[in-house]
Amino acid sequence: MIDVATLLTIVLMAGVTYLTRIGGYVVLRNRTLSARATAVMEAAPGCVLISVIAPAFVSRNPADLLALAITFVAATRLSMLPTVLIGIGAAGLLRHFLG
Amino acid sequence: MSISQAVEAADNGSGSEFRRGVTSCAPVLFGTIPYALVLGAQATQKGLSTVELSMMTGLNFAGGSEFAAIQLWTSPPHIVLIVAITFLVNSRHLLMGAALAPFLRDLPRRKVFPALFFMCDESWALGLADARQRAAAGITPAFSPRYYMGAALAMYLTWVVFTTLGAVLGPMLGHVETYGFDMAFPAVFLVLMRGMWTSMAAARPWLVSLVVAALFYLFVPGAWYVAAGAVSGLVAAWLMTGDA
Repeated sequence: MIDVATLLTIVLMAGVTYLTRIGGYVVLRNRTLSARATAVMEAAPGCVLISVIAPAFVSRNPADLLALAITFVAATRLSMLPTVLIGIGAAGLLRHFLG
Repeated sequence: MSISQAVEAADNGSGSEFRRGVTSCAPVLFGTIPYALVLGAQATQKGLSTVELSMMTGLNFAGGSEFAAIQLWTSPPHIVLIVAITFLVNSRHLLMGAALAPFLRDLPRRKVFPALFFMCDESWALGLADARQRAAAGITPAFSPRYYMGAALAMYLTWVVFTTLGAVLGPMLGHVETYGFDMAFPAVFLVLMRGMWTSMAAARPWLVSLVVAALFYLFVPGAWYVAAGAVSGLVAAWLMTGDA
């Protein structure tokens, strides 16, 4: 089953993503960006990602906050797979035992 | 790989260049599988059907933006918000494409445009590193399209197949929060950000984003926290950098 609003969202997502993929090649290949423009573009993905997960940082559940702290430490030193497993494990166990 | 291997590979046929791309991508593929399964499972929790999820990962093919979209997904979806966030998460492609452009100069556009559809963090990094190595070793052309496509198609197929599998298996797992599976999102995002980390100074806009997004989440109803956090981080990046 395909919902119209969902289909439209997906097609538009795919469209803007493809534009970002060809945009650098088409527009930027013969230009030098200002230091500011480069800094903004380099910061952008991180700004979005941290904003999306910001609610986890202000959770009212101590178990969730502790699990997030453990995940944060894991993310600074381990690769994707172990970090995800530690995060899921910590959240599952802490919620079970701390409520 | 060493330079002698690169020279050897360049002398071989096109099939071996493709295989070389697939092989060099293999370690990354294993890391991608759990991440893909989690995305698929989370998508079904948010009410997407398997077909819809496969369309998203197959047409969009940019994991970070898909995780962000699923996290923000409502029924019906907030189209403008999700498309804007997709653009912001994927804006790094603009810089990546610009960095790759000098190596694509001799390729016809009818080959470049389809090839760029498959440009993801991994295939870009592998393709660019390989082109630089070959350039240093004096091999022309430096960029090997078949090597790049080997890595890119391996990533693409793995991503679409395993996100779909995650969507098929997701409903069998029941509510993911019970087991802590929702912590996969912060985990994935934090590891991605570690990969983007260059210096404390360059990361200050992220802190601005975090604080503003958290405040908006606590005090402003609706999903505005993402847009507010992202935009204030970008303004901070603009203000913190002197114009050169």
